[in-house]
Formats: sequence, structure tokens, C-alpha cells
Amino acid sequence: MYKLRVNGLSAWFQNKQVLFDIHLEFPEKKVIAIIGPSGCGKTTFLRCLNRMHELTPGARVEGKVILDGKDIYSEMDAMEVRRKIGMVFQKPNPFPHMSIYDNVVAGLKLMGIRDRKILDGIVERKLKEVGLWDEVCNDLKRSGAQLSGGQQQRLCIARALATEPEVLLMDEPTSSLDPASSARVEALIRVLKNNTTIVIVTHNIQQAARISDFTAFIYNGKLIEYGETKEIFESPKDPLTEKYITGRFG
Amino acid sequence: MNLRKIKNALIRITSTIVVVLITIPLLWIIFDVFIKGISVIGLEFLISLPAPIGEGGGIANAILGTLIINAMACAIGLPLGIATGIYLSEYSNDSTFSTFIRTIIYTLSGVPSIILGLFAFALIVIRIGHYTAIAAAFALSIIVIPIVAKATEEGMRAVSIEIREGAFALGLPKWIVVTKIILGVAKSSIITSSLLAFARISGETAPLLFTALFSYYWPRGINEPMASLQVLIYNYAMSGFEAWVIRAWGASLLLLLLVLFINILVRRISTR
Ligand SMILES: Nc1ncnc2c1ncn2[C@@H]1O[C@H](COP(=O)(O)OP(=O)(O)OP(=O)(O)O)[C@@H](O)[C@H]1O
Ligand SMILES: [Mg+2]
Repeated sequence: MYKLRVNGLSAWFQNKQVLFDIHLEFPEKKVIAIIGPSGCGKTTFLRCLNRMHELTPGARVEGKVILDGKDIYSEMDAMEVRRKIGMVFQKPNPFPHMSIYDNVVAGLKLMGIRDRKILDGIVERKLKEVGLWDEVCNDLKRSGAQLSGGQQQRLCIARALATEPEVLLMDEPTSSLDPASSARVEALIRVLKNNTTIVIVTHNIQQAARISDFTAFIYNGKLIEYGETKEIFESPKDPLTEKYITGRFG
Repeated sequence: MNLRKIKNALIRITSTIVVVLITIPLLWIIFDVFIKGISVIGLEFLISLPAPIGEGGGIANAILGTLIINAMACAIGLPLGIATGIYLSEYSNDSTFSTFIRTIIYTLSGVPSIILGLFAFALIVIRIGHYTAIAAAFALSIIVIPIVAKATEEGMRAVSIEIREGAFALGLPKWIVVTKIILGVAKSSIITSSLLAFARISGETAPLLFTALFSYYWPRGINEPMASLQVLIYNYAMSGFEAWVIRAWGASLLLLLLVLFINILVRRISTR
């Protein structure tokens, strides 16, 4: 059963096409890595999956992205899509005017959930999930912007998880983190896989090999190869893929 | 000693001298107002009404009047200014229309306040047929609007695209992103500008002469002439009665302390 099916997806910035007719499927509760050289369209692809691409002025999308049988572009509204398909960005972006507590439950509180007991429970659960609880449980009132980079990124993951998304998109979530923080995030991804489908963009080939079940290789806006990570890394079918994963370009 | 060092020293010395030269008159003004004003300030002065012509009395009605007029001006000016800033930053799409609005708003801040007073006089006082605090609040609100609109727009524009996208990615609708996230992040610059606008209108006198004018009694209603510290200072200082002149100094000191207090508050907020 596929969680998400991408059908003939193309994307543009103004008149410049950056994604070309991409077809692929993401199985449920798996980790899918998106790899490819800088500028090939990984971020754009990810942003097309939860309708963030359309926020950029002049940006346009064609094709279908089907979540549980429903096209996110024609059969759902953008806000519903983004609640079901959460996103973590490359640069940690906690809301600087909010406390750690409010950052975690921002998506819920601002949508009208006020019940203190429910919110308290979610804050604790999500911060524990991302391994931040022990570090911050005594100053939940502190500003989220005062945490270290690695802590901020885990806070942002907790924030994305608080609305219980079915799919989580992560754009190079560890690229601004030190090795220890990166390892924590990777461990977290393995746990999250139990009930979430995760699509992760990464520049780190080893990371893709370590944590993903499936890998998609994009080059110049085209999907070159997609399949089980093991196969992609052990016996790539396309010479470009082989060149990329053996580090001979990009 | 080489030439570079001499030049360096020269610049340091001249700039220090200039700073001292411009600080002297400023401190002098504060000092002078303080010395002349402090002697009359006391409980009696602060809580009682003016006495008959030329005698002592207090300035309580003028203190209250300035606060009422300022509060009304802010009640009109802050929401309009903030709304304008929100529009210009988040909803204008940088269209020709918004450029036009922005030019109008920011030109308003350069209009001499006496003209705003005249405008309020022609528009409201003449129509109603008597001087009224409402017209004063209207004139002063036109000073508040551009100050607050500009700070709101700039504060909101400064909110990074990453923060905005973080909010949209949670599935929040635009109006919530704008009011709870972007406005929230810009909050301190909006509060700061509101306080500065309050300080600024506390010193405006010309618009009040055409609008609220003055009264020797407690404010009886907002649609009546109303005393204010500014006009009291103007009237008393020009009166020639010693008891009144000294009260003008006392009122000046109060205004100065108010403005000083607000500025200190603003510094504390913006450096927090
Ligand atoms: N806002 C934008 N406006 C115009 N062109 C853009 C914009 N963002 C990205 N592009 C272009 O789209 C193409 C794909 O960019 P994208 O950010 O998706 O690449 P990427 O694979 O994520 O790169 P990286 O690995 O460096 O993050 C690039 O050629 C880039 O120049
Ligand atoms: Mg990218």
C-alpha cells in the first residue's frame, strides 16, 4: 500500500522548469532518501509534496501528488495537506517570540486547542520523542531561540510532530548540526518510522545508506533512479547513479 | 609620531568636542527646567485645579486632559497605524496602489503639526461650533498613524522567510500566520513605536491650540474644550504673572519627566 504517489510532477520558478515529469511511490512507514547534486531540485521536489512550493511568488506545479488516494492539489486544501504532511527545514526555525512550550504546540494552540492538560501531555511526549525533554523540562518557559542549534532543530522536529502528521518531510535536517546531534536525529528517524512515512533530503550519502529503506536519485530535475536503498547502493542500474554514490561528482 | 596617528588623534578630539558642545545645551535645558520647576511640584500642585487669574493653584486638570487626549489619539491612531503596517507588509504585493499609500502615509509624518491642527479645526471645530478634545485627538492621531505604520511594516518585513514558512508548514491559515506569528515576532518594535508616538504627541502644542484649546475646570466630556499640559505651559508662560510662570516651569518639568521615562522604557524594551 502506497502512502504517497507522485504522478507526472513538474515544477517551475517563473519560466524556468526545475522538475521534469517525476513518477514515484512512497510506501507507508518507510524512510525514503532523496539524493542528488546541489541544485538538482531536491528541495523543490520536497516542497511540492506539501504544497509549500506554491508559496514562492511565480512558482508553479503540474501533475499529481496523491495522499491515500486523494490528490493534494485538486482534492484537498493546502492547510489540510500541510497538517497531514509535516516539514522540517534545513535551518532550524523556532518561533523566536514563543517559549519552548509554545513552540512545540504552536500548530495546535493557534488552531484553537486550549485544553491545558492535553497540551501539557503533548509537549512532554513530543519533547521526549525527540530526546529534548531532559535538557529543557525545567525551563519550558524559556525562548526557543535561546537553545543551541542542535536543540533548536529537535525542537522544530517536535513542533512538526505535535500535529501528528502522517508523512514527515525533512530537508537536510542534520546539515547544520554537529555529529552528535546528527546521530540523535538519525536515531529519532528510526523510531519515527514506526508510525510515520519519512521523506528525507540529504547530501550525505552514508546517511542515506544508513537510515533509508528507499532512495531516489535526482539529477538536473529528473528522477534518474528509484528503488530499495540496498539495491541502489549495491547495484545501481544507471551509470549516473553509480558515479554519484561513489562520490565521483556532485 | 607618524601622520596616521596625528590624524587619528585629531578626529577623536574634534568629534569629542562636538559631542560635548551639543550635549551642553541639552543638559542645560534639562537642568534649567528641573531647577525652575521642582520648587512648585508638590501634592497640591498635582491634584488641584488652577486658582483664579494670576494666583497659584494646581494643574491636575491639565495632567488629566493630556492623558485623556493622548489616550483618545492612541485609540484612533494605533489600530489604524498597525492595520496600515500589516497591509503594507503582508497584503500589498508591492503594487502601485500600495506604493501610493505608502508615499501618502509617510508624507503625513512630514506635515507640520500646526497644519494638522488647522485641518482638524476646519473639519471638526467649525462644524460642531465649539472647541473640542475630539478634534485634538483626531489631529494628534494623524501624527501617531505614520510612526506606528512605519514601525509595524518594517518590523513585520524583517521577519525571515524561514520563520514564515515554518508557520505555513504547520498548516496554519495566512491570517493566523500574520497575526500570531509575524505580528508576534514584530511585537516589540510595535510597542516601542507606540510609546515613542505617545511621547511625541505629549509635546505637540500647536494642534491643541486650534482644537481642545483650554479649560480651567476638570474635563467634563470628550466633546468639550479640555485643558492640557502643553497649552497650560503656553498660556501660563505668556501670562506675565509670576505665580503662573513658575507653574509653567513645573508643568514643563512634568512633561519632560514623562518623555524621559518613556524613552528609558523604550530603551529597556528594545535592548532586551
Ligand atoms: N526561489 C527560487 N527562484 C528561482 N529559482 C530557484 C528558486 N529556488 C531554487 N531555484 C532553482 O531551482 C533549482 C532547484 O533548486 P533546489 O533548491 O530544489 O535544489 P537542491 O537540490 O535542493 O539544491 P541543494 O542541494 O543545494 O539544496 C536550482 O537550479 C535553483 O537555482
Ligand atoms: Mg536544497
